[in-house]
Amino acid sequence: MSEITLSGLEKRYGDELAVEDVSVTIDDGELLCLLGPSGSGKSTTLRMLAGLETPTDGDIRIGDEDVTDRPAYERTTATVFQDWALFPNKTVLENVAFGLKMQGVGKEDRHDRAREMLERVRMAEYADDDPMNLSGGQKQRVALARSLAVNPDVLLLDEPLSNLDKRLSEDMQIELREIHAELEETFVHVTHDQDEAFTLADRIGIMADGTLVQVGEPNEVYQNPKNRFIEGFLGDTNFVEGTVERTTPDTVRVETELGRTVGLPTAAADATALEAGDAVTLSLRPEVLSVEPVSAASDDAESSGAVRADGSTTNAVVGTIENVLYRGSTVRYSVVVNGTTVFVERTVGDGSAFDAGDEIRIDWDGADLLAFRDDGSRVDL
Amino acid sequence: MHREAIENALFRAGYLAMLAFMLLPLVVVVVTSFEESGQLLFPPETYSLGHYRAFFAETRWLSAFDNSLLVGVGTTVVATTLGVTAAFGHELDDGRAGQLLAPLVLVPLLIPPIILGISMRVYFVRVGMDASYLSIILAHTLWATPLVYFVMRSVFSRFDWQLLDAARDLGAGPIQSFVYAVLPNVKHGIFVGALLAFIVSLQEFVMALFLSNHSTQTIPVVAWKALRQSLDPMVSVVSTFLILISVVGIVIATIATNIEWLSKQLS
Repeated sequence: MSEITLSGLEKRYGDELAVEDVSVTIDDGELLCLLGPSGSGKSTTLRMLAGLETPTDGDIRIGDEDVTDRPAYERTTATVFQDWALFPNKTVLENVAFGLKMQGVGKEDRHDRAREMLERVRMAEYADDDPMNLSGGQKQRVALARSLAVNPDVLLLDEPLSNLDKRLSEDMQIELREIHAELEETFVHVTHDQDEAFTLADRIGIMADGTLVQVGEPNEVYQNPKNRFIEGFLGDTNFVEGTVERTTPDTVRVETELGRTVGLPTAAADATALEAGDAVTLSLRPEVLSVEPVSAASDDAESSGAVRADGSTTNAVVGTIENVLYRGSTVRYSVVVNGTTVFVERTVGDGSAFDAGDEIRIDWDGADLLAFRDDGSRVDL
Repeated sequence: MHREAIENALFRAGYLAMLAFMLLPLVVVVVTSFEESGQLLFPPETYSLGHYRAFFAETRWLSAFDNSLLVGVGTTVVATTLGVTAAFGHELDDGRAGQLLAPLVLVPLLIPPIILGISMRVYFVRVGMDASYLSIILAHTLWATPLVYFVMRSVFSRFDWQLLDAARDLGAGPIQSFVYAVLPNVKHGIFVGALLAFIVSLQEFVMALFLSNHSTQTIPVVAWKALRQSLDPMVSVVSTFLILISVVGIVIATIATNIEWLSKQLS
C-alpha cells in the first residue's frame, strides 16, 4: 500500500510561508498533478514528499508509515528533477544503476536492471554514453529510468517536461501516461502547464499562494472551479464585472459593464441570497459564446434575459471587432462591447470570417455562465 | 597596422617587460647557486655543482627539507579537510551562523604573523606542545584554511546542488552522497586548494621561526639562520629547490585540472 496522506503540511522560510496547511490523500496508483503558477508552493510540497525539505508543521504518511522526519535516502520515493540532475561523472548506465548501487545490489544485477530500464524508455543504445552529450528529451528519459530503477512506491516528477519543446513535451506526456498505466504506481506530478495537467492527471490539485485550493478530477475542476483564481488559471475566459440589480426566486439579474443586464437562471439558495448592490464577476468562457453577423440578428436582441421556448435564456450583446488573431485552427476576435473588450473564438471554416471593424452579435445561454463574489468565491448557481 | 593592434602590442610588450623584471631575481638566485666560490656573486666567475654536492652532504638542510615536507603535508591535510567541510556546510545552511563564518575565517589572515607567532608560542608552551611538529602544522593551518575555504566557496557556487538532492533521493546517505555526487565534480577545486595550502606552509617563515626548535625547523628558518652567518651560495641552492617545488606543483595542478583537455590532446 502506498497511499499518501498529507495533513496540515506547512513550510516556513523565516517569515515567509511557502506552503500553508496542505491536506490531501493521494490514492494508491493514482496520478495526481499539482498545478499552480510559479511560487505557489507546489515544488516545495513535492520536495517535502521526497524528504528533501523538512516541513515546519503537519505530517506525511506513505502507506501506514509516518515518514515526516525520515530523510530522503530512507524514503521509498524517487524524484525526476526539472533539470534532470544526471551525474556528469558517470555514464548513462551508471546513472540509472546508481540507486541500486546505494541499495547494495551487486554490479552485474544492477547493470542488468539498469539496461532493462533503459530499454523501457528506449535509451538502451546510449548506455555507455556521457549523459552530458544527450539532448534534453534523452536526458529526460534517462532521468526517468534512473528513478524507476529503484522501484519506488511513489514517483515524484518536478516539472520534468518544462525544459522540453512543445512537441517533445506532448510526446512525453503520452509516454508518462503509458508508463503510469503499466506500473500502477503512485505518481505525483508538479507542473504549471494546464494542458499537461489535464492530459496526465487522474486528479488535479490546484495550488495558489502556498495553499491547495481545490482537488478533483480534471473535468470536475474545470466545470466547477471553486473560485475566481482557478477559473482564470485553468483556461482563457472573459471576466465581466457587474452589480446585482435584483434577485427573484428563479433568476439573479446582474447589471454588467457590457451595458446590459444579464439574467442568471437559478434556484440555489446561495445565489438567491445575493442582495441588490452586491458586486459579482461573471465568467464568459469563449466556448459558451456564439457569434453571428449583426445583419442576421434576430429581433429578440433587446429582450435580454428572455426565456426561450427550450428554457434557456438569451443575453445577446452587439460589439465591434477590434482585433483578429489567427491561432492556427481557431481565430480569436477581440470585440469591444460598450467600452469593454471581450474575446470570442471561432473554429476556422466555421461560417463566414469577420474582419476588424465588423459589428457582430455575441450570444450565450445564461445557464452556462459562472459567477464569483467580490472575495473570489464562486456563487453556487 | 590598425590603432587597436598597435595598442595591443604595446600593452603586451609592457606587460612582458614588467613580468621579466619581477622574475629576474629568481634568475639571479638560480644562477648564483652554480657559483664555485664561497661568495654570492652575480654573475658567477666560474660555474660548478659544488654547492649542490655540499647540500646533499649537509644533514641540517636535508632534515629541514624533511621537516618542511612533513609540516606541509600535515597542513595540507588538516586545512583542506577544514576548508572543504566548512565551505560545504556553509552552502547547505546559509543561516545567520553562516553569515558570520566568512569574516571569522578571514581573521587569521589579517593578524600580522609575528603577533600570531608570539601568541601561539605562549599558548603552545602552556599546553605542553612547544616546538612540536603539530604546533607548526596548526599555526600554518590557521593561515591555509581560509584560503582553501574561499577557493571552495567559489567552486561550490558553481556546483549543481540538484545532484546532491538526486543522490540523496536515490538512497545515498550523507557520506555516500558527498563521495558519489559532490566529490567527483569538485575534485579539481579541492586539489587547487590543497596545493595552495601546501605552498603557503612551505614558504611561511615568521610563525615557523617562533614555533620550531633545532630539530623541527623548516627550510625558511634554516635559510634565515644561514644567511645571518654568511651570504653563501648554499642559500641559493636551497632557494632553487624551493622554486623548483613550487613550479612542479603548479605544473601538476595545471595538468590535473585540465586532465580532460590533456587527454583530448593526446588522443
